[in-house]
Amino acid sequence: MAGQSSPLPWEGLSRDRAVAMKQAAILVDIRRCVGCHACGVACKTENDVPLGGFRIRTHYVQRPDKPTFAFVPMMCQHCKDAPCIPACPNEAIERLPDGRVDINKAKCKSDTACMDACPYGAIYVDPQTEKADKCNLCTQRTEVGLQPACVEACPTEALRFGDMGAEDSEVARLAAAHKAVAMKPDAKTNPAVRYIGLEAYMQDQAKGIQLGKGENGVLYEQ
Amino acid sequence: MSDITRRNFMKYTALALGAGVLGARAASGQGAPNKPARKVKHVARRIDYTKAKATPTICFGCTTQCGVLGWVFEGRVVRITGNPLDPNNRGKICAKANGMIEGQYYPERILYPLRRLGKRGEHKWKRITWDEALDEIAARMKKIKDSGRPDLMAVHTGRDKTQGVIQRFLYAFGSPQALNRRAICSSNPRVSNMSYFGEPVDWDTGDYAATKYVINFGSNPMEAHQGGMGAMQRIQQARVDRGAKLVTFEVRPSATASVSDEYFMVRAGTDGAIAMAMAHVILREKLHNEAFWKRWCNFPLDKLAEHLKPFTPEFAEKESGVPAKDIERIAIEWAKCAPACLTLINRGITKHYNGAHAGRAARLLDILVGNIGKPGGFTMTSRSNWKGEWGQDGLPKFGMPEPAPTAPAPWLPGTPMFEELPQKVKDRVKGWPEDMQKKYFGELYTPSEYPLSFSWQVMRVGQLVYPYLKEGRGRLELYFSYVFNAGYNYPESQLAREVLADEKLIPFHVAIDVVMSETSALADIVLPETTSLERWDFQVTNAYELVPFTGIRQPLTKPLGEARSVLTIFRDLARRVGGGMETYFNFEEDEQFYKEAMKNLPISWDELKRRGIYFDEMRSKDYELHERAVPEKEMEGATVDEKTGVISKDDKGKKKVLGIMADGKAIRGFPSKSRKIEVMQDLFPKAAKWAGLPESDPCSSPLPTYFRVPSHENMADNELHLVTFKWNVHTQSRSNYFKYQVEIVHNNPVWMNPKTAAAMGLKEGDWIEVSVKRPKGNTYRGNEPGFVASFKNRVKLLAGMHPKVIACSHHVGHWEQGVVATAKLSAEANGKEGHDPALTDRNLPDNIWWARSKGGPGNGVHINEVFPIDPTPLVGTQNWYDCVAVVRKV
Repeated sequence: MAGQSSPLPWEGLSRDRAVAMKQAAILVDIRRCVGCHACGVACKTENDVPLGGFRIRTHYVQRPDKPTFAFVPMMCQHCKDAPCIPACPNEAIERLPDGRVDINKAKCKSDTACMDACPYGAIYVDPQTEKADKCNLCTQRTEVGLQPACVEACPTEALRFGDMGAEDSEVARLAAAHKAVAMKPDAKTNPAVRYIGLEAYMQDQAKGIQLGKGENGVLYEQ
Repeated sequence: MSDITRRNFMKYTALALGAGVLGARAASGQGAPNKPARKVKHVARRIDYTKAKATPTICFGCTTQCGVLGWVFEGRVVRITGNPLDPNNRGKICAKANGMIEGQYYPERILYPLRRLGKRGEHKWKRITWDEALDEIAARMKKIKDSGRPDLMAVHTGRDKTQGVIQRFLYAFGSPQALNRRAICSSNPRVSNMSYFGEPVDWDTGDYAATKYVINFGSNPMEAHQGGMGAMQRIQQARVDRGAKLVTFEVRPSATASVSDEYFMVRAGTDGAIAMAMAHVILREKLHNEAFWKRWCNFPLDKLAEHLKPFTPEFAEKESGVPAKDIERIAIEWAKCAPACLTLINRGITKHYNGAHAGRAARLLDILVGNIGKPGGFTMTSRSNWKGEWGQDGLPKFGMPEPAPTAPAPWLPGTPMFEELPQKVKDRVKGWPEDMQKKYFGELYTPSEYPLSFSWQVMRVGQLVYPYLKEGRGRLELYFSYVFNAGYNYPESQLAREVLADEKLIPFHVAIDVVMSETSALADIVLPETTSLERWDFQVTNAYELVPFTGIRQPLTKPLGEARSVLTIFRDLARRVGGGMETYFNFEEDEQFYKEAMKNLPISWDELKRRGIYFDEMRSKDYELHERAVPEKEMEGATVDEKTGVISKDDKGKKKVLGIMADGKAIRGFPSKSRKIEVMQDLFPKAAKWAGLPESDPCSSPLPTYFRVPSHENMADNELHLVTFKWNVHTQSRSNYFKYQVEIVHNNPVWMNPKTAAAMGLKEGDWIEVSVKRPKGNTYRGNEPGFVASFKNRVKLLAGMHPKVIACSHHVGHWEQGVVATAKLSAEANGKEGHDPALTDRNLPDNIWWARSKGGPGNGVHINEVFPIDPTPLVGTQNWYDCVAVVRKV
């Protein structure tokens, strides 16, 4: 057993621990997801997300080949051609040096143009802060070398975080080996987030991250 | 203080804290304390991890007890993450972990002792001091003790996980009545395991990390399984990374069924037929491990083959609806993976009238192929209490500090407790052998019709406590409830509430709770308990890495309001009662008590607090514990029984069994009486005789068997099976005020197969009425005609539902537990002027979008009134999945 002197993983966090990346992103492995919502609750607690707004949401979709569910987590896809960035009249949506897309709250005037522009429904307006918000891969965590809340929580490694822009990174290698694909490629947003095991029917059923009009359940249509 | 009504109840809970903190807030220059918070625009909190402090503790989201870290930032617990040092969850958490924070800061948390005014359940309370509360309770305790009948005090708990504190309190007082909920959950699978191995196993802890093939009989490790966190990650890794196979027999498309490589819809209550048929196939195909069987089993193989003869795959198909060819194929595939193959029986298969035997039938498969204790097989880790017994050589001893109170004397004939029992009960118990009589403590703790609920291990039959009190089969003067909500989640919960409301049956009820529940609302005194983030505790649990480990729960923050830990409450009651009781609670701070409990660990208390987990990575895995040699030192002075080979020696006047001779070697064997695997288990027929169970009831079979659930015989075409289930984001009624979890699951439409619905003229979202019949067979009120109760709910159509089964989850439909649970929005639920800002949640109530008043679907339907109290013969497990329902469109 390690002695008192060796620091434990959660001790002495500092900004020196941040890992530089070309393209920070999440690799979703549908084959591993069990639909447990550990990601969703960890995210909401971590980021003070209001009820009714979602940075990540796991859809339960009905399989066409079997009478069971497939589980599809969706979060901001951190698109390389992100339509939300030009849509914002206040230039509040920025691309960070590691490629992720983030909302600058100081500039946000809760204009909803970004919400309309996003094909994934990634953005919500917080009713109390009156600011637009969405997944930013937990900058407050990654800046001290921690993984995004959803990834750290995920019990089955269905979510992995890493540098999709570095060929030798774990996520890039796995994405290549398993021919990971983008969600909703027809939207031509060039997402950085990639999926292993994503099938067409999942994309049809998992419409978006926010609750759609008249949609009254988080898991599936009720 | 004047009467207060439900409407103003908040003033006396969280609101009342306001007075205490206002000074500090004003002093810190934050301005006028009574300025309504919601006019100030909220700024989303961003955690600064260079300033946040992490402290290891144990999750209380369910009973899996994962090691977690609690992060405190700006004086508040803001996150729960996994403790990477915990070998079970390996730094991972599920959706329930962060719910602890919601409980911690819930605006409707109880923060002060409350005394009932008016009638029970009228929601009229008066805030009292701790001294007033404890003095009154202690005075009642003293009166009971002075009357010579300490057994008239009981503590009824849910999954409290206090590691013996409850029993210590009761034993110190002289009462055996530590009532619990084990029959609500796990007593049948425990009997299945104990009957073979003499060891309940707690949860199935197979070696999933190394397995090639899992046959899952209705368990749900991906969703709501005790120990699920460890199981789900290992099974998914085994499947995806190593190509292991998971086959699930289920009635509904659970998350586990969904990720399974094959899912078979099985008619409710017939899994045992499939398991028996698989055993039949394995023997027929000679895929069994003959050497293992001969070495370890107490029954000849040829006779087993004969016993299995009628249980053909064709028979199983007729019973279950699963094709015979699939049963055959899977049995063969699975057995060919031996020993890296295993079954899961915890617990769909076992929550039936035939469940103890169905569980035995499934576990028989593991025994037949000899995977017991092998890598990738069905493994048993060292027993959880580290008492230096089987498989625990070299482990440090730890546990509750000395001195420990002694157990009260049994209720033998002639004792006043025994003599006031109903004549029928007295006659029954008098017919028992002496060793069984010595285990008898009355009908509430050891119900005489359910001898297997206390012959191996005292498991109790909690759902019978209320009917037995009503019928005069037991009586109480003082009743504590703790981590417990029978008024909501017990079968026939309306009966629980009726008894809890009746001052003749329960003269005084003390609830120890965090938030007012359907049960604590019926108390006379409510004591505010510290949350899991404010108190000390420890855990010892099953180990997926097959190396025993332990961990501690420690406070992340000071208790809010006047909340106190249950240990402190018991200490202060013991001191007030005196007469020696206080000697068992001899500590000033809770920490001292737990430090003492852990003193033998080879790690300092400070280092244990720093790491949260003690885990000896150098210790070898618990494979094949039964083959381990008995240490020579232990053999000194031991004797070997010539006939059985069982090795024992005298230990302070008691016979201590050490192991068994096998091929001339002294080895441990299994913890059963014979140290062998007792395939032939004569306790079943014996218990049947003791209980007065008719010989015709197949529950008395000494061999694993399958028989149809009596309630399921001759079901009419319009009758359906009703089962209930748990969601991955919830734990019983514990999580229903945790807003982020309730947001995901807040209602419970009835799952139904579309074809079944079409035949009834139902479409998605239609309302139905579900009425449940009384059970048949030798169970409580068995064979009475008529219905238990009905509920109305919407239907959700899913092709993965068995056409003869409907499924409806519980958790929801609360009328207590405040604004998140009830979705009844009132501004004052989140505090008014002067409210403690620490207990204000900007989401409440306005962001509860699922409330009916906001056009949402509402908070669901409470269904536990329709489930009859239905204990399995001999064992007493609640047969949750045996219900027969009539459904009509409304």
